[in-house]
Amino acid sequence: MSHVAEGVLHAYLDGELPAGERSALEVHVAQCEACRARVNEERALVERASTLLGAVRPLERPAPPFEDIRRAPTRSPWRVRTSFAWAASIVLALGFGYYLAGAGAYRLAPETATPTNVATQNRPADNAVAPAARDEAQPKTRARQEVAERRPPGGEREEAATGRLGATSADSISAKAAAPPSATVAAVPAPMRDSVVVAEQDVRGTTAAAPAPTTRMQRQDALSVREAPANTWPRIDRQTAKTILGNDPVGLPDVAPVTIRRSPDQSGVVVVEQKLDDRTVIQIFQQPNAATGAAGGRGSVYSEGARADRLARFVGNLRVEIGGPVSVDSLNRLLDLVRPLP
Amino acid sequence: MPDDIAEVYRNTYPALVRFLYRKVWDAERAEDLAQEAFARALVHRPDNPRGWLFVVAANMARDEARRAARERRHLTLLKSEPDAVHSAPEDEMDADTQRTRVRAALEQLTPRDREALLLWDSGLSYDEIAAQTGLARGAIGTTLARARRRLIEAYDVREGDQHVARG
Repeated sequence: MSHVAEGVLHAYLDGELPAGERSALEVHVAQCEACRARVNEERALVERASTLLGAVRPLERPAPPFEDIRRAPTRSPWRVRTSFAWAASIVLALGFGYYLAGAGAYRLAPETATPTNVATQNRPADNAVAPAARDEAQPKTRARQEVAERRPPGGEREEAATGRLGATSADSISAKAAAPPSATVAAVPAPMRDSVVVAEQDVRGTTAAAPAPTTRMQRQDALSVREAPANTWPRIDRQTAKTILGNDPVGLPDVAPVTIRRSPDQSGVVVVEQKLDDRTVIQIFQQPNAATGAAGGRGSVYSEGARADRLARFVGNLRVEIGGPVSVDSLNRLLDLVRPLP
Repeated sequence: MPDDIAEVYRNTYPALVRFLYRKVWDAERAEDLAQEAFARALVHRPDNPRGWLFVVAANMARDEARRAARERRHLTLLKSEPDAVHSAPEDEMDADTQRTRVRAALEQLTPRDREALLLWDSGLSYDEIAAQTGLARGAIGTTLARARRRLIEAYDVREGDQHVARG
């Protein structure tokens, strides 16, 4: 046997040489003075490198309890950013303004409107929307004030942003939206967290696609933003959804509560809403691919978007978009998990 | 499955933090990233959690390094690092100096050599390192031999420089 190659020697010293090679090497080394010396040399090298690496190690602190990590899937990867609180308010304000301004546009409430939580009692075709809007205005304003008042000291920038919101001028919105996201909820004092929840729940209740104040959502087609109020998106059952989509609706497997709604117009968009926890509702918009194509110009925008924008993708024959009060990164991962609902 | 991950968590968490630390050079950040990696593992439920964790950690560290480079704060990180050893000031300075020097030496390795060395030091097997780096298993020994030798050489050269500079 020839002398032992360096790499083999290191594999041997690392205990990674397969048994057969190891015994062959040991036989050789036992007879070969030079290789014995090299084994010792290389062993010293391995140990020295290991010692050097030992000099660059973090202060070792005990691992946090695994339970903390286990809870994390509802928090850590799907982090709710504090910036969301006021970003959501912005969307709220926008949506609300839009709602009032364009109330007429939404009045084409679906003739088959399945009763939903709000829009129920004998709704006269023409003035049902406006009172509902006013009713909702109160809690929304309150929520916003709470966000502002309960802001802990130190969050001046956010406070300012929220305060300015009263004015709701379009130009200040872009500035606010551009402010960098700050720490995650985990790092935020409890009262702040509560106000985030208030804002989110509000968003969820009133504007269907509001909770994703990212550029992506701004770019996202009108289908979600324009037709915002959830109570104009009638709730439908699985079978109806399947009929509209021509396929089983898709969603996140293993996330039990599923609410399905359809868009009030004839665009054939269905949204599946799933609660990850009591403060996080993920919305999965879906539409048959053919329908997007049939929509002419919008179809091409769609398919382009699907390529450029990872937050939309095709699942089977459906074009699927995802939105929710979590980071874009998390939305991406969630989107990967979307499957036809069982 | 979560039980598997709990097991991996107990066994691997410190090594993952150490691995990340040697990439982002910020102990707290390394802990955050390690925890994030485990949280992701709970969502993704990979077949081989340990290998998967190091792949994800390496990716996160790379993103982190890019971001850090952008923010130009990379070089100041070591200063604020608390020292693990409570010792006399001179010793602390020595430990600090040594850490800086090892770090500099590590950064002189090729990315591939460095990766293999850090993974090995984190307790990964040759098979796992091969899977992660794309190297053939048979090449791991050679890669590690080269990485170790270069690390020591780079470290000693710097030490020599310092002595010359002092003398």
